[in-house]
Amino acid sequence: MIRVLKRAYTKFNPEFLKPVSSGATTSQGGSTAASQDEVLHFTELAPSWWDVSGPQRILHKMNLARMDFIQKTLREQFKAGPDTYVPGFNYKEHLPARVSTAIEQELDQDVRSQLQKHKYRVLDIGCGGGILTESLARMPFVSKVDGVDLTPECIEVARGHAEKDPLVKNKLNYQLVPLEDVTENYDLVTCMEMLEHVDQPSEILRHAWNRLNRGGVLFLSTINRDPISWFTTIFVAERVIKVVPSGTHHLSKYINSEEIEQWFKDECAGQYQVLDCKGTMYVPLKGWAIHECSGIGNYIMAVKKL
Amino acid sequence: MPETRVQLYFLYIYLIGTMLGNGHSAKRAPRTLKRQVMGPSKLRIVQRQLFRALATSVKPKKTDVLIVGGGPAGLTLAAAIKTSPYLSGLSTTLVDAGDLKTKVAGFYDAPPEKYTNRIISLTSQSKQFLEQRVGVQLMEERLQAFDGLFVSDGCSDAHLEMERGSMGYMVEILNIQSSVLRRLSELNASGLQLIDQTKVEDIRYEDPEDHQSWPVVSLSNGEVYKTRLLVGCDGFNSPVRKFSKIESRGWFYNRFGVVATMKLDYPPFKVRGWQRFLPTGPIAHLPLPGDDATLVWSTTEPLSRLLLSIDPEQFVLLVNAAFVLEDADMQYYYKQLEQGSITTQELKSDIAYRTELVYSKLDNDAFIDEIYPPAVSSIDSTSRARFPLKLSHADSYVADRIALVGDAAHTTHPLAGQGLNMGQGDVESLVKALEKAYQRGLDLGSLLALEPYWADRYPTNNMLLGVVDKLHKLYSTDFGPIVAARSFGLKAIQSLGPIKDFMMAKVSGPSQ
Repeated sequence: MIRVLKRAYTKFNPEFLKPVSSGATTSQGGSTAASQDEVLHFTELAPSWWDVSGPQRILHKMNLARMDFIQKTLREQFKAGPDTYVPGFNYKEHLPARVSTAIEQELDQDVRSQLQKHKYRVLDIGCGGGILTESLARMPFVSKVDGVDLTPECIEVARGHAEKDPLVKNKLNYQLVPLEDVTENYDLVTCMEMLEHVDQPSEILRHAWNRLNRGGVLFLSTINRDPISWFTTIFVAERVIKVVPSGTHHLSKYINSEEIEQWFKDECAGQYQVLDCKGTMYVPLKGWAIHECSGIGNYIMAVKKL
Repeated sequence: MPETRVQLYFLYIYLIGTMLGNGHSAKRAPRTLKRQVMGPSKLRIVQRQLFRALATSVKPKKTDVLIVGGGPAGLTLAAAIKTSPYLSGLSTTLVDAGDLKTKVAGFYDAPPEKYTNRIISLTSQSKQFLEQRVGVQLMEERLQAFDGLFVSDGCSDAHLEMERGSMGYMVEILNIQSSVLRRLSELNASGLQLIDQTKVEDIRYEDPEDHQSWPVVSLSNGEVYKTRLLVGCDGFNSPVRKFSKIESRGWFYNRFGVVATMKLDYPPFKVRGWQRFLPTGPIAHLPLPGDDATLVWSTTEPLSRLLLSIDPEQFVLLVNAAFVLEDADMQYYYKQLEQGSITTQELKSDIAYRTELVYSKLDNDAFIDEIYPPAVSSIDSTSRARFPLKLSHADSYVADRIALVGDAAHTTHPLAGQGLNMGQGDVESLVKALEKAYQRGLDLGSLLALEPYWADRYPTNNMLLGVVDKLHKLYSTDFGPIVAARSFGLKAIQSLGPIKDFMMAKVSGPSQ
């Protein structure tokens, strides 16, 4: 086991995050293409994508944590207005429950109404069957979401599912195009659980960043390349308890959070601000929990374009 | 042209016939069995297709939440959705078979002088939820707070005295319903529709093969609704639950609850509930404002019939006797009354004599008011009624686009006064789950949105149902060793304060 681990661990090619000159192993769409076996893998998964008790259940559960993170990060961009009372940090200890809940509600209401004035345009890269894409489309502060993916079956499933909900069907637009062919600009770009499935993550990052308006936020989540990730996401999740379809992950494609931050330092110095970076962890019977150790296992990150 | 019109006319008559006749009975009957016996006749298949075609020919109105049932749970849910900062924008439709808009709502403006007989205990937790979260103002003058409960064993002298400020409130169900309706009309919320005096005739998934498609609900007033989320607050025989194919398990207790509204000799000194476990079932005497009180007497089927048929005066005598005399005495009276071999006067003097005997054994006359409830002087004879007691619990409260709330998900023996409160707890939890799902951009009808509600409520409700069920079983015997054991247990709890507090906290929420 240790040998397997070591081999997988050292197989990673740090060149992945270096800029590339020419697309080597591509099927469609140059440097941001997906490899054939990844497309094949997701083709197999497509039919059961929206079965929340099926093979993608853990992804559906993870989406809850992702949406919590996105909400929280966006809300932190807003300050309460001058008419709203902002209490001290330990106000709950000093005030009766009724008063402290009223304060909380007022604060919440204020920030929410500010957020809702915005009509963000969102790009979801690697949208798959549209789990995150649909959730984003339901947000009152989002005016439209474009989802792109390279697996035709997934796009088909996503389109079919969006058709069923009158609330979102007009806000959603799915396209089977490589990222580099997307030309519009967006206020929010998401790239969730996607970088670990591509051969050239740096190209994806570059294109994603270029699609972002100034002041916009890029949300990305992937997995650290460490033994703990191998143990949780591959050994336990895929082989022992089988909550993740086998063959979903390859340790060598995982990317450390520091590497992402380093990439931003190298490529976009002075033009970015990491708003937040949190670890995420699956707790059996409870779902996904967000924690502070972003250097271990899965993580989620928000980067603002200055 | 006229010819086609005539043909259309006949087609409609045929279709309506199908709907009224075979369409429904074919749905209700166990299909597989029928198929085995007669095979799918061609006519039947054609009928079914035509029936579906007709149902889809009316363009369904879209709604986000369709609540079936306007009982306390359904109405509270509608009000909780409309007062939620997140959910108030959802279009909500409530359907009820009864007369909500005039009869139930009218109770608030012109309450009757006498108390109605459907009275329940509301825990302070439920009342807080109604008042603070939903903003309902109950009719305070028609409800009674009680500060304790005196529980005694009909086969021994063991008793348990629970005391606590505002342990619960005795409230008429109509009080809750009409107060919530009042709140709804105050809110005057857009996107809320109350449809009363209307029944649900048919529920199907829009695409019968796809359970994630929206349920289409046909109503008896001809309207058809297509809903994102269908909530069954439609009681024990829930049509929504039957549609969802969620299994509900349980049993009848073979007991009936007899209720009556009573007048007392004088207002009680201590405003508390009294409950005595007789071998035939517990009898409970619960306070209402002033010198009124309400009774829930759980007993066997023949005895419940007897209690409803005897003279109101005899009924009053039996109620008073049941809290004081031994089971043997009661059995004797039941027998005499059944045979008609005792007059009211004889019954009265015999009970008075035996009651005096019991009182005389007490060390001090002052104990009489401590351990026996205030005597009943009369009952409102029109308020006497009975209902069967049962336990049921659905395997799940949620399915694709469906949630079950209150009695549709669980029914319990009334001995702990938990039935309505469990429903209120369900509403609170369901609304929380929906709020969370809304913030996360989930489809509110998806299992992902609804699962937390079920996960939160099932264990709590299961615990309460189980405890109540075991209490019922433990006390429905007069077998010596068991009586001794349960009396020992009750006395032990009586003398162990912390355990008593824990039990009270479990039943009526944390103390304030």
